[in-house]
Amino acid sequence: MREAVLAVTSNPLQRIPGVAIMLLLLVAVFGAVAPGFMSEVNIANVLVQSTLLLMLSLPMTLIIMTEGLDLSMGAVLTLTSLMVAIVSVATGSMLLGFAAAVAVGLIFGVANGCLVAALGIPPFVATLGTLGMAQGLALIVSDGQSVVGIPHSVSEIYSAAPFGIPVPIVLAILAYLLFHGLLYRTRFGAYVFALGGNREALTYAGLSPTRLLISVYALGGAMAGIAGLLMTARMNAGHPTAGLGLEFDAIAAVAVGGTSFERGNGWLGGTALGVLAVGVLRNGLNLLALPSSIQVASIGALVIIALFLDGFRSRS
Amino acid sequence: MSVRETIYAGLTVLAAATIATAAWADGETIAVFTKNQTNPYFQAVRVGADAAAKALNAKTLHYIPTKPDSIPEQLSQIEDVVVKKPDAIVFTPVDYKAMVPGVEKINAANIPVVNITDRSAAGKFVSFVGADDYSLGLETARYLLKTLGGKGNIVIIEGVKGSLTNVDRVRGFNDALKENPGTKLLASQPGNYQRLQALQVMENLIESHPQIDGVLASNDAMAMGAIEALEGANRTALVIGINGTKEAVDAINSGKLLASGDYNGFLQGCVGTTIAIRSLRKEPVVPEIVLKPTVVTKANYQSYETPIESRACPTWDDATKLGAK
Amino acid sequence: MTDITKQAFAPARAFMSDDLLQVFYRLAAALLICLALAILSDSFLNLGNILNVLRQASLLFFIASGLTLVVLTAGLDLSVGANVALSACLAGTVIHQTGSPALGVLAALATGGIIGLLNGLMVTALRIPSFIATYGMLWVLNGLTYWYMAGEIIHGFPAAFRQIGSGYLFGLPIPVYLLLIFLSIGTIFAQRTIWGQEIYAIGANPVAARLSGIPLSRRLLLVYAVSGTMAGLASIIFLARLNSAEADIGESLTLPAIAAVLIGGTSLFGGVGTVFGTFVGALILTLVLNGMNLLSVNASWQPLVTGVIVILAVWLDIKARRRGE
Repeated sequence: MREAVLAVTSNPLQRIPGVAIMLLLLVAVFGAVAPGFMSEVNIANVLVQSTLLLMLSLPMTLIIMTEGLDLSMGAVLTLTSLMVAIVSVATGSMLLGFAAAVAVGLIFGVANGCLVAALGIPPFVATLGTLGMAQGLALIVSDGQSVVGIPHSVSEIYSAAPFGIPVPIVLAILAYLLFHGLLYRTRFGAYVFALGGNREALTYAGLSPTRLLISVYALGGAMAGIAGLLMTARMNAGHPTAGLGLEFDAIAAVAVGGTSFERGNGWLGGTALGVLAVGVLRNGLNLLALPSSIQVASIGALVIIALFLDGFRSRS
Repeated sequence: MSVRETIYAGLTVLAAATIATAAWADGETIAVFTKNQTNPYFQAVRVGADAAAKALNAKTLHYIPTKPDSIPEQLSQIEDVVVKKPDAIVFTPVDYKAMVPGVEKINAANIPVVNITDRSAAGKFVSFVGADDYSLGLETARYLLKTLGGKGNIVIIEGVKGSLTNVDRVRGFNDALKENPGTKLLASQPGNYQRLQALQVMENLIESHPQIDGVLASNDAMAMGAIEALEGANRTALVIGINGTKEAVDAINSGKLLASGDYNGFLQGCVGTTIAIRSLRKEPVVPEIVLKPTVVTKANYQSYETPIESRACPTWDDATKLGAK
Repeated sequence: MTDITKQAFAPARAFMSDDLLQVFYRLAAALLICLALAILSDSFLNLGNILNVLRQASLLFFIASGLTLVVLTAGLDLSVGANVALSACLAGTVIHQTGSPALGVLAALATGGIIGLLNGLMVTALRIPSFIATYGMLWVLNGLTYWYMAGEIIHGFPAAFRQIGSGYLFGLPIPVYLLLIFLSIGTIFAQRTIWGQEIYAIGANPVAARLSGIPLSRRLLLVYAVSGTMAGLASIIFLARLNSAEADIGESLTLPAIAAVLIGGTSLFGGVGTVFGTFVGALILTLVLNGMNLLSVNASWQPLVTGVIVILAVWLDIKARRRGE
C-alpha cells in the first residue's frame, strides 16, 4: 500500500485511492443506517462471503498485470468444485477431493498459459475458449445434476472456526500474505511486473517470458482449485453452474482496486479492498432489504464511481 | 463532480432509500426468497406473498439474487437475513440440493420457514406448498394427446438440465406418451426454459422432421418460442406449455396455444405466506399443500384472466381444500 | 498530409490487404464447416435450414457489427446484451401504448444510442477503461430493466411489425436483407470514409493519431454511440422475431457477439479487422450451433464444442498471419 500511495502527487486527498474512499463511504453509511451491520456476526459473514472472490481476484491481479485476462476462472472453479464433490463422495476423503480439484485447476491454468504464451492467442479469446471447455466438462461430469452426499470433513472446512476465526478467513489471510510476499518480495514478483511493463528486459536477462506467463496462469488455475474446495464445502454439494460469472466480478474487483489493464502496475491491497467493497455493498443492501433491481444497479454504479474517482485523482 | 459532492450525493441516496424502507407495517416481518427477477412465475409468487401479508397485517421483505438463480448469492442472502432475524421465512431454494446448508442455517437460528415451489432435499420446514410438477406434466400432456386422438409425432422441449421442475415435468410427459402407444417421440431437446433457444431448437427440429403433430414444452416461454418457429415456417402443430402465465392464457384464448399446466405462483406465494403468519400466531397449519394439477384450456381460461395484482388470496379454509388428495 | 499523418494512416493501409487475406481464410473455414455439416447431416442443405442459419447469423451480426468498431479502437463494449434487453423492453412498451411500430423503432434506436453515448462519455470524458465502464453500465442497465419490467413479459405485436423478424421477401428472410444493407454500410464506412480510416488509425496508434489531428474523443464517442445504436436495432429484430420482450434476453448475447468479432479477425489491440470478418465470425458460430442441433449433440457437450472452435479459429488465424509475415 505504501508504494502505491507514495507514487502519487502531493495533494493529500489524491493519495487515497478511489476504492478506499468507496469502502469507507459504504462502511460509514451502512454502519449508520443498516441494522446489524456492525455486529460481530455480520462482519464475520461479510469477510467469509468475500473469501471466494478474493481467492480468484488475487491471481487475477497478477494476470491482469501481465496485460492478460482469465475469463475461464468461474467455469474452472465450478469444475473443480465438482471434482471435490465427486472424488470425495467416491473415496470418502476430503484430501483426495482437494487434490483432484487443484490438479484440474492446474491443468486448465497451464492450458491457458500455453495458449496465451506459446501459441500467442490473445488472452480474451484463449480463456473464452477454455471457459467453454470447463463449462462443458462441468455439465458432462455432473450430468447437469447437483452432486450430494459429501463427507462431513469437507463441509467442516467452511464451518470450522479454530480460536473463533472461521477457516475461510484464515485461508483468505494466508492467501493474501502468500501473494503479497510472492509479488513484492520475490524475484518471481519482479518478473511479473516486468511481464507487464517491460517484457523485452526479461528476454535480455535470459529468462523465458513464456514459462513465466504459463506460471502466472497456472497460479490462477491452482487458486481456482483451492476455491473449489471452499465452494463445495459451503454448498455441501457440487453444482454444474454454481461459480459461473465470478471471473467478471474478480476482474472488476481488480480494476476497481487500481490495477491498470495497460501499464503493468498492480496493487494487491487495492484488489483486496475492491473485493471487500463489493461484499460490503451487497451485504449492506441485503440488510436494508432494498429491492433487488436497486442492488443490481448499485453494483454497476460502485464500479463506475470507484474508477471515476481514480481517474479524477490521476488527472491533476 | 468533486469527491466531496460525490460523497454527499451517495449519502443522500442511501438515506432516502432507508427512509423508504423504514415505513414499517405493524405486525410480523416475513422474508420471502425467490429465484430471480425475470421469470413472471416468481413475480406472481411475490405478488401473492404481498397480498397475503397485506390481508393479515404483516410485512414482506423480498430477497432475490442479483445474478439469476445464483446459489452462492442465495446462501449469502440467507446469512445476511439471519442477522436481521425476520419473524418467519418463505423459501424457494435456487437449487433444491445445494441450498440445504442454507436451510440448516435458518433452522439453527430458530426462524420458522415455509418451503414453496421446489421441495428442498432436507431441512426442517413448517410446511411445504407447491405444485406437483410430475402430475402437471402428465395431465397437460394427456390433454394434448387426447386432443390428437392418441396418435401422432411428438417432440419434447425440455427445460434446464438438472432442475427439479424439469426432471419431473419431462417424466410426466414421457409417462403420458407411454400411455398412448400410437404416438412417436421424434426428439427431446433442451431449450433451457428460454424463449429464443426453444425457437431455434424448434426451427432446427422442423427442418429435420417433416411431420410434427404435437409439441410438449416444459414451460410457457419455450412453448411460445416453439409457436413462433412453427408460424415462421408455415407449419402447424398442437403445443402445450406449463406455468399458466398471462401470455399463455392470451395465446389459449386466441387458439395458438392448446393448453398450459397451471403452476400457480400467486397461490403458492399466498398460501405459503399465510401458513408462515398463521404459525407465528399459533394458529393451526397443515404440513403440506400440494396443489391439484389443473390444465388451463379454452374451456376454463377465463378464470385465469384476472391480473395477479387484482387477485385475492383464498381464505384459510379454502386454502386447505386446494391440496390434491 | 504531413509525415506524421502518413505515419498514422500507414499501418491502416498496410493492414487492409492483410485484412482481405484474413477474411478469405475465414470464409474458407466457414465453407469447410458447411461441407462437413452437409456430409454429416442430410437436413443441413435444406433450403429452410440454410435460411434459418442466415437469419440466426444476422441477429448475431447486428449486435456484433457496431461492437466491431469499438474493438477496432482497442476498446470493448460489455453492455451490448443488456442494451438489447432494455431497448427491446422500452420499444415494446412504446408499440403497445401508441400502436405505432415506427415509434417503437425510434425508441429502440434512441435508447441504444443514448446508452452508447453514455459509454463513450465514460471512456472519453471520465477516462474510465472501456472494460470497466461498460461492465458497470451492464449492471446498471440490468437493474433498470429488472425494475422496469418487474418480472412481466410484453407480448403480442402487430403482424406487420413482426414481419421484420419472421417475414420473407422473394424467398429470403427479411433480416437477411437488413444484414446485407448493414454489412455494406459498415464496410463502406470502415474502409472508405475518412471517419473509418481515422478509427483504424486510433486503434493502431492512438498517440500518432492524435498528433495528426484526429479528434480522438469525438471519434470514440462515435464508435460507442454506433455500437449502442446497432444494439438498439438488433433489439427491434429480436422483438419482431420473438414477438415478446423480456428482461433477461440480453444475458446470453454479449459473449457470443464478442466471440463473433474476435473469430472474425478483429484484434483486441485495435487497428486490425473488418466488418465483413465479423459477419463471417457470426456465421461460423451460428453454423456450429446449427450443426450441434441437427446432429442432436447432447446439450452438455455444446459449450465444450463451442469453446474448442473459438480457440481453433483464432489459432489458425494467428498461424496464417505469422506465415504471411
